[in-house]
Amino acid sequence: MGHALEAVQRQLVEILPRLRRFARTLTRNSHDADDLVQLAVERALSRLDQWRPDSRLDSWMFGIIRNAWIDETRAQKRRNRLFTVAEAGENVADAASEAHIQRLSVEAALAQLPEEQRMVVALVLVEGYAYKEAAAVLEVPIGTVTSRLARARETLEALLGGAEGGLP
Amino acid sequence: MSIPDEKLMAYADGELDAVERAQVEAAIDADPSLARRVEKHRALRSKVSSAYASVLDEPVPERLLNAVRGAPAAARDDRVVATGRAPVARSRDRMGTRAASWSWPQWLAIAASVAVGVVVGRGVLTSPRPSIGTESGKLVAQAALDDALTNQLASEQSRSAPVQIGVSFRAKGGELCRTFSIRQADTLSGVACREASSWSVRVLARAEGAQTQPGNYQQAGSGMPAAVRAAVEAQIADEPLDAAAEMAAQKNGWK
Repeated sequence: MGHALEAVQRQLVEILPRLRRFARTLTRNSHDADDLVQLAVERALSRLDQWRPDSRLDSWMFGIIRNAWIDETRAQKRRNRLFTVAEAGENVADAASEAHIQRLSVEAALAQLPEEQRMVVALVLVEGYAYKEAAAVLEVPIGTVTSRLARARETLEALLGGAEGGLP
Repeated sequence: MSIPDEKLMAYADGELDAVERAQVEAAIDADPSLARRVEKHRALRSKVSSAYASVLDEPVPERLLNAVRGAPAAARDDRVVATGRAPVARSRDRMGTRAASWSWPQWLAIAASVAVGVVVGRGVLTSPRPSIGTESGKLVAQAALDDALTNQLASEQSRSAPVQIGVSFRAKGGELCRTFSIRQADTLSGVACREASSWSVRVLARAEGAQTQPGNYQQAGSGMPAAVRAAVEAQIADEPLDAAAEMAAQKNGWK
């Protein structure tokens, strides 16, 4: 048991950068993203008995992050009324480099997507998951992943396209 | 032969089997506009993934590593103590309606296992006139904190006051609550609610490396540690009190 826990902990440390990246695609700032990852790690460790060692730990964690995020966003509307969002401008200050501007525009475009489309984009385009793997994490049929991804791409293309590699 | 865009997308993402792939490639050979559409999908994919690539190179915050190791103090961005009654973890959309059933986000309940002394050890409990004391097993505001909660208006407070009041609100149980920050060795923030004759401190959190918050009404809320914000959000019955309502509540003795 102790060994199993240690093995999971080692793996978790290894995938933490990817968990942070996934969370970053869902939240609007790095601080919230890390809160989300931390919450997910705590949840995961408290219910390790639900993880099947023959399955992918990263997929399981993505699923936990997703559910934690859904819990969070349910309360989001009220929170936004209550507190001014001081974090909104956090990325703007240092927008010097071309790459950084590019990143901000992608983040802004992603933020326009409905939640369920954003998760598909995060898993398939950012994380490199196959449609089937993404479908398993999101607990939807593969056809749903495909159609959500197609719609998301259309929106992103409209928001980001043209700058490079787009059609005339 | 016309190829639906979803199939071109799946082709660009490497999702097609050999047969379908050959089909699409034949169609592309016959129609260069299809090749441009595939290229567009690939360009978008690379644009999106490279936008997030740098996250992988960032150092992982220590608190996340601690969370993996199961370190006891790993409660989000701040050390949190839910005080008074045992916190009740349940989903946020099934909030209790009585004061006794304050419900907390699950992580707050986890964090509640952190000893009170860890959080409030630095001066708040030990100075000659501690701001927080215990009364029949509950934490209550005393001295400067009690005074500020009772008398200080967020809309009028001095920025240099040692206790800053943030948001005042009526909780689901009907009692009035206020968020506060105490500046001492650290900045401690929390939520206190008015009970019969004292302010019961229900959440207390220390923001790591927190800046002291100026007394602006809005900023006082936005600068709160996540734990305090979450507690307010979970407990508030309606909207926070505005300046006029706050003043009226104070005149009425916070009933």
